[in-house]
Amino acid sequence: MYDNKRLFLSVFWVVLGAALLILSVTGKLDSTRYAGMGGGLIAVGLLQIARNLRYRRDPAYREKIDTEVSDERNRFLRMKSWSWAGYITVIAEGIAAIVAAVKGQETVQLVLSYSVCLLLAAYYISYLVLSRKY
Amino acid sequence: MKNRIEEIRSARGIRQEELARQMGVSRQTISSLENGRYNPSILLAWKIAKFFGMTIEDVFIFEEE
Repeated sequence: MYDNKRLFLSVFWVVLGAALLILSVTGKLDSTRYAGMGGGLIAVGLLQIARNLRYRRDPAYREKIDTEVSDERNRFLRMKSWSWAGYITVIAEGIAAIVAAVKGQETVQLVLSYSVCLLLAAYYISYLVLSRKY
Repeated sequence: MKNRIEEIRSARGIRQEELARQMGVSRQTISSLENGRYNPSILLAWKIAKFFGMTIEDVFIFEEE
């Protein structure tokens, strides 16, 4: 689960976050947005590193994580959640596109409509690919 | 699909945690199976039946809807 690749990625987030933070503080980047982004990346990176190290050192924690990741009900729930998230997104964007059209916000309506089309296209392509695989 | 997991497990004095550990799943999965909220894959059903020394048909009761 927490292999070396993930550890290196976590270290990369911390380094990138620190770089953004330093560049913001020293005025090289003229936006507090980058400082916030840097802080967020450092926090995420450090949390991942802490989890990674605990996973390597604590056998009970390792067993718990491995079980959670491989547990078939968890996998089912993850797939079901993605499925629900997809449905909710398509429906919400469809409704928002109609509202935008009624309010005369053409650009917003176009972006939302294209987004719905993209999601539906992704669904049909995924279905075609998966139906060949299984 | 109904099953007799709780009945067989209790009769043998096995805790949910122990069964879950033996099956390589979480305790919540065993709980959901026992409550009938989740139907297992054929592989998990086979592993559970094998663990109890029974056949799948002995543990899981298939009902046509």
